[in-house]
Formats: sequence, structure tokens, C-alpha cells
Amino acid sequence: MPDEIPSFEAELKIPPRAEFVGVARLSIARVASLMPFTFDDVEDIRLAIGEACTRAIERLQTPAPGQQIRLPCTGYEDRLVIEVHSPLGAATEGGSPGSDEDLGAMLVQILMDELTEEARSEQGEHVLRMVKYVNR
Amino acid sequence: MNIRVETRNPREGVAVIGLGGEVDVYTSPRLKQEILDLLNGGTSKLVVDLSGVEYLDSTGLGVLIGGLKRARERDGDLKLICDNLRILRIFEITGLTKIFDIYRSEAEALEKL
Repeated sequence: MPDEIPSFEAELKIPPRAEFVGVARLSIARVASLMPFTFDDVEDIRLAIGEACTRAIERLQTPAPGQQIRLPCTGYEDRLVIEVHSPLGAATEGGSPGSDEDLGAMLVQILMDELTEEARSEQGEHVLRMVKYVNR
Repeated sequence: MNIRVETRNPREGVAVIGLGGEVDVYTSPRLKQEILDLLNGGTSKLVVDLSGVEYLDSTGLGVLIGGLKRARERDGDLKLICDNLRILRIFEITGLTKIFDIYRSEAEALEKL
């Protein structure tokens, strides 16, 4: 089966700091609005991106100079794939039940159609991959 | 990206915190401090008006949960006003509608406090 050709690819990089989370969610929401998503879908994506970046920042605790969160987005005819690449932090994965992090993880899971998480220790990064389908 | 926090006292021992803008990981410490200041100052019956909130994330939810817990520890309460369907949906999908009393108007929230 031939590789599927994306409609577009875009990438955003932000410092792992709280004040940049709003920049990420607005930028990715703008990218999503270029696709035939409903207003509610775009709002879901906006919230999911905010939660994913917040979790990445909280996991890092104290970022080293020059560290970044990378958000590559790939648009296909029927879906938008967004990845959140963040440096591996010292904190353990996942929040305690009832914590903000726990609520954030729950929101991302509910708002997006597909979700995979991976710690790539060789590259020193954590990757959260989220997919939102059009008209689902 | 900003948050607006305006507090007033419609009657003694009661505070209404009017919020506007975005409540997220960057701005929610401002809300947390406002709630803590009120509780530490002896005001334990709180109403948080989310009518002007355009965005609320899990950090903001965490601050509200913490405020509710601390208010109840002081024999007070924390009630919410919200008529924005997007914001209400966040409370619904996280199951927090079971924890918070959410009203459509300030008069209704104050009556139940």
C-alpha cells in the first residue's frame, strides 16, 4: 500500500513555559480551522493541545536552557495528526488520581479520537500523538 | 491571553469573584491567590462567576476544586455561575457537575449559599 500523501505539514516550537501554552493552542486551533472541522471540533483540539502542553511542562518541572516543545501537525483529507514532542523530565509519568494532571489526561483522551504516548529514551523525548477525524 | 479577576462583597461574609478571559496553567495562580486571600481573610462563602471565561483548562478546574475543599473545611462553600455551554461541557465530561453546584445567575447562586 503506497504511503498516504498529507494535504499539509506544519510545525510549531515553543519554550516549555506556561506563558507559551496559549500561543500553542491558538496556533494549532488556527491550523485546525483550515480543515473542515466544526467549531466544536476546533475547540476540542484547542483544549487538548493546551492540556498536552501543560502536562509536558509540568513533567519537565525545571526546564534546561534551550529545551523546547515541538508540535508537528499533519493534515490529511479526513484527519489532523498532532504530535507533542517534549524533553523527558524527571517527574514520573501520570498524575495522582484526582490531580490536575489526571484531569488533563482525561480531557485529552475524551476530546481526541486517537491517542498514543511514547517515551523515547534514546532521543530523550516524550511523544504524545493525537488524531482528530473530520466528521466523526 | 489574560485573566480578569474582580471581587465584590454583596453581603457580609460572602464574596463574588467575577472571572474573565482565559484560566489556564499561566493565569490560574492569580485565581488561586484570590481565593486563598478571601478564605484567609475570613470570607468562606464564595461564588465564582465564570460567565466571562472564554477558556478553562484542568489547572483552572484544580484551583476551583481546591477552593471548594478549603471553603468547606471552614464551614463555607464555593458555588459557580456559568451559562457558557463550552465551559459547562468541561465540567460535564470530567464529572465535576456532581461536585459543584452550578447556577445560571448570581441571584440564584447567592440564594443557595
